[in-house]
Amino acid sequence: MAETKEKSLSDEKPKPRVRPIVRLGIFLISHSFLVSVVCCTAGVLALFLLPVLAKNTYISENALMPGSASPMLSNQHVSDGNRLVKDLTNPNSKSSETGIESHKIIAQYMLDLGAEVSFHKFHPQMNQFHPLHFFSSPVSGKIQENYSCSSYGINTVGIIRAPRGDGKEAIVLVTPYNALKSGFGEALSLGIAYSVFSLLTQVTWLAKDIIWLVADSQYGEYAAVAAWLREYQTPKFSSLSTPNAEMCPDVNNLFELKGHSISGSKFSNSFRRAGTMAAALVLKVRDQNEQFEDTISIYAEASNGQMPNLDLINVVNYLAVHRQGLRVNVEKLWPLLNSSWLKSLGEIFESLAKVAKSLYPKWKFGIPATEYVEGTATLASSLYYQALGVPTGPHGAFRDYQVDAITLEISPKFSLDKVWRNDILLRGGRLIEGVIRSVNNLLEKFHQSFFLYLLTSPSKFVSVGVYMIAFALLIAPLPMVAASLYVDANSSSNCSKGDSSTPSAITDTDEHGIAIRSWRWLNSAKLVFIVHLWGAIVSLLPYFISQIPDCSPTTSFMIWVLLSILSLLTLNSVLASPLACAKATQEKEWALVKSVTISSVFIGLGLMSVINFATAEIGALLMVPMCLLARPLKLDVRAGTLRSFCRLICNLVLGHIAFPPAAFFLLKGMLDGFGNANVGDFWMWVESLWAWNSATYLFIDLTWRAHAVVAHQSCMMFWNLDVLVLSL
Amino acid sequence: MEKLKKKIGSFSFWNWVIASIIFRLILIYFPKNLNLSSRPEVSTPLTSFRRLAEGYWLKQSSMSSYAGSMYHGSPLLLSLLGPLTVKRIEGQPNHLLYSLVSVIADVVSAMLIRATGQNLRLAYLRSLESLDLVKQIDVSEFLFSGDIAALIYLCNPFTIVACVGLSTSPIENMAVILCLYGACSRLIPLAAFGWVIATHLSLYPAILIIPVIFLLGCGPDSPPRKLFLQRHQQKEVLNQLKLPPGFSWGPIIHFAFWAFLWSVYVLVLCGISLKQFGGLWEMFKSTYGFILTVEDLSPNIGVLWYFFAEVFEFFRNFFLIVFHVNILFMILPLSIRLRHRPCYLAFVYVAICSMLKSYPSVGDSALYLGLLGWFVNELADMQFSLFLFCGYVGVSLLSPVMHNLWIWRGTGNANFYFTTAMVYACLQIVLVVEGVSAVLNHDRKLRILITGKP
Repeated sequence: MAETKEKSLSDEKPKPRVRPIVRLGIFLISHSFLVSVVCCTAGVLALFLLPVLAKNTYISENALMPGSASPMLSNQHVSDGNRLVKDLTNPNSKSSETGIESHKIIAQYMLDLGAEVSFHKFHPQMNQFHPLHFFSSPVSGKIQENYSCSSYGINTVGIIRAPRGDGKEAIVLVTPYNALKSGFGEALSLGIAYSVFSLLTQVTWLAKDIIWLVADSQYGEYAAVAAWLREYQTPKFSSLSTPNAEMCPDVNNLFELKGHSISGSKFSNSFRRAGTMAAALVLKVRDQNEQFEDTISIYAEASNGQMPNLDLINVVNYLAVHRQGLRVNVEKLWPLLNSSWLKSLGEIFESLAKVAKSLYPKWKFGIPATEYVEGTATLASSLYYQALGVPTGPHGAFRDYQVDAITLEISPKFSLDKVWRNDILLRGGRLIEGVIRSVNNLLEKFHQSFFLYLLTSPSKFVSVGVYMIAFALLIAPLPMVAASLYVDANSSSNCSKGDSSTPSAITDTDEHGIAIRSWRWLNSAKLVFIVHLWGAIVSLLPYFISQIPDCSPTTSFMIWVLLSILSLLTLNSVLASPLACAKATQEKEWALVKSVTISSVFIGLGLMSVINFATAEIGALLMVPMCLLARPLKLDVRAGTLRSFCRLICNLVLGHIAFPPAAFFLLKGMLDGFGNANVGDFWMWVESLWAWNSATYLFIDLTWRAHAVVAHQSCMMFWNLDVLVLSL
Repeated sequence: MEKLKKKIGSFSFWNWVIASIIFRLILIYFPKNLNLSSRPEVSTPLTSFRRLAEGYWLKQSSMSSYAGSMYHGSPLLLSLLGPLTVKRIEGQPNHLLYSLVSVIADVVSAMLIRATGQNLRLAYLRSLESLDLVKQIDVSEFLFSGDIAALIYLCNPFTIVACVGLSTSPIENMAVILCLYGACSRLIPLAAFGWVIATHLSLYPAILIIPVIFLLGCGPDSPPRKLFLQRHQQKEVLNQLKLPPGFSWGPIIHFAFWAFLWSVYVLVLCGISLKQFGGLWEMFKSTYGFILTVEDLSPNIGVLWYFFAEVFEFFRNFFLIVFHVNILFMILPLSIRLRHRPCYLAFVYVAICSMLKSYPSVGDSALYLGLLGWFVNELADMQFSLFLFCGYVGVSLLSPVMHNLWIWRGTGNANFYFTTAMVYACLQIVLVVEGVSAVLNHDRKLRILITGKP
């Protein structure tokens, strides 16, 4: 009642009073072009400002107390480790073809320390693409069938039970080891792990069990760790399992041998478990050594851009830098380091900061230009690996089970003679010991510090609250432009109606017009929906194509392209030929189609920013300009002005760049030279993406769809040409 | 417009119905991959199929089906659907039979919606005729609201998800629609049956008694009665035949009698099946009591779970009363304002209930979105339609993602998920507010057409 009264009152008044927030909205919508240009520029600028805005890391969890105890790892333990390294590098140990000998040696060493030892046999499981498993739980109780006895790997697992613990928590130490062709680095990493392990059997402060997993990396490091974790997290209660490795004589042979040679009772055939995992460290030593300093590289990115808790990185960084004097490194995008434009940008920021500081001495936000360049390179690689969604090491397998894990890769300085070897064993071992001791202090699992962050250097990070601003600025124009287009489309149709009809018939036309006016977008929504449906079909096709045996990447790609076009044609004919009917109305409706497209892109980007920020950011950089600039080519051609010509060129270029295969080839061409680019590569790349269940794949699919809609919009001209030719 | 109408011609209508059924059947064969029945958006403690199976198991082992606070539905549902939970067909998905039942329930609901919509459209045209507005408003432009509503109900992803996700909401929805259908086509026993069953299953449809009384008392939706009087004053001929009938008490007494009969029947049946386990009191305590006291605080798409997880125990009763009285407060003003449009009133009530319910699921939204289709002609100039559409799409995609972040990845927390629940509630509020104002505007427009002045 009150509402109608208000309405009628407002109708009578010549100038209706509008609420400020509505007025603000109307203002923004009416100036959407300016606002979107400003917002987009600000968004890109804010992205480049991120290294400047990065904060220093700090250890958030008080219980960690890194470095508060002096390291207990002594030369005794180091010489133990050395002994193992020598035994492993001894040519005798490599006599066996399957590398069982070296596993036996490791197991024997573990047993001598009094640890519980078991072997875990696994079959390398190919990563399978499950189109519906992107967001489901990581429980992978898949039926495992058709194993052959020829290919299997053996993980050696040693467990120390904590004297003070209740066996409900555990810390995992992983050393990938390929028994068949192990380099010296791998042996050295085993040596470090062993020296720490031998220390931990003696200490009294241990409150969490320690699991040392020597992952058999002959089928890849990730596969071995993932197989072990799967077994660890999904206990099988039935003994009636499918024919598996137990049936293979070779493996049983191994156990019999062990049974003979080892009299200790601590060895067991069955799978051994400890408690829930608090954290996991993957330790590697690089074979080549070209650095000037002992450095340690941290790899943290897990699948779909998930990161371990920042506290874990902080602890490693703190102990490595302040206790062991190692240089800590995170991945950088090397080509960016030498780019001159970045350097000049950094100098501009630096001088700006200087000016600001001279104006008001308390403003201190500038960083030196070199630091800025390094920060940007690190940030770029952080974004790149998160966006790719493929884990950068075996630690990725842990994150799927919500265990925080990182990979530490030690690159020693000099050729490894005896002294240096001892030194690296000691320092590496002490670092690991310190980290384990800190994690051992934890009362709960890591939760205090950030999970959503980007690193700009080992000791600097950008938190979610800061980087989201850049993203929000970038996509803010989308809803605004969508609203303004929608309003324009509605009001223009209104106007034309009002003009054409005589005043007496105004109410009459109003009465009909309404039904069309308010729900007219449904037609455009249908069109957009159909294009998205097509995108979904296209993105599911590789699953079926990959079932075809003996297909080279190039042929698969060709089949994919063919099937996609075929499916588009089928959809077109089955679902009331949306494109054809849209063609007739496109003239008027393009604004509505664009508005609906932009809204759907906005929803998609918003969703993606929650799932995987980096992908969303990169996608937004590509898609936002494309969506905002899109306009039917015909209109531009007809207008014939310089401005419309520029827009046309932009449209064409952007439209082609943002097409995923095109983007891929461009990148590939820039990195490797255009000669090497091959259609098959795209297939391989896509295959690798979906093999890792990367959400990026979904996203590319989204880009594809949006692109298809926009392309459809811009290609109106060509179709009309076709129609012309036909009619002639 | 013509295109739209042609598209929803009767031939095309059946095509779409068959397509939606086939789509459901396809989805039923992928239950493992979809895992919909464990989604909090689909199965609440009241509608969960797993809990029904558990209740049936308890009953089979001669225990009270309400033992252990697992099952909270009706004992009748247990006896009807329970056997389907254990019956398996070799080589077919586990719960094929129950899925088929819910598919059938969906189709029946859609057919009832279609029939009611056709009824409403005819009534609307009749009232326009008696207002002599037929010339001014081209009647042939009118959409077949029944077909559209039925298709919205059948093709709505929410309905499909609720149907494939093995929840009992298709059956609850069918009871509500049955009640409205009976009232619209004046089948009083049927209306009473629908109302009693719907109330028995989920309590909230009890407030539908008001629209049903209006429907039975003065017939289906029409422009306000005042307009008719004005029209006839203008013409200075008081044609009694053209006036809509006034309020009549006969059908209502009839309805009350039937409702009483059906409820006694239902209660007796429940009493028999619960004879050994505490009788009816036990049933009321663990169904209606469970709904009203919000005992289960597991996350769902409503807002109450979060609120009652946070609130101090001391204030709990107070806020329970506040939240439930909230629904009751809205009944009276709305019923006064919309008394000439009882079906629309029913839609508004259903929407408000699904907003303030203690355990809402997407099945509830499916119901009121389907009912919304009845009023396509009245709601033609509703504002924010694109915004609402995008909002619903966004929220229904965001909610599983937030749940995943919170439960599986551990990088989010409960607030993430609750945010989507709040946005969802806001969207529903906007929908109801805009819908009501659009219908009132429509009435105003008719008034302008009649009197010729704003």
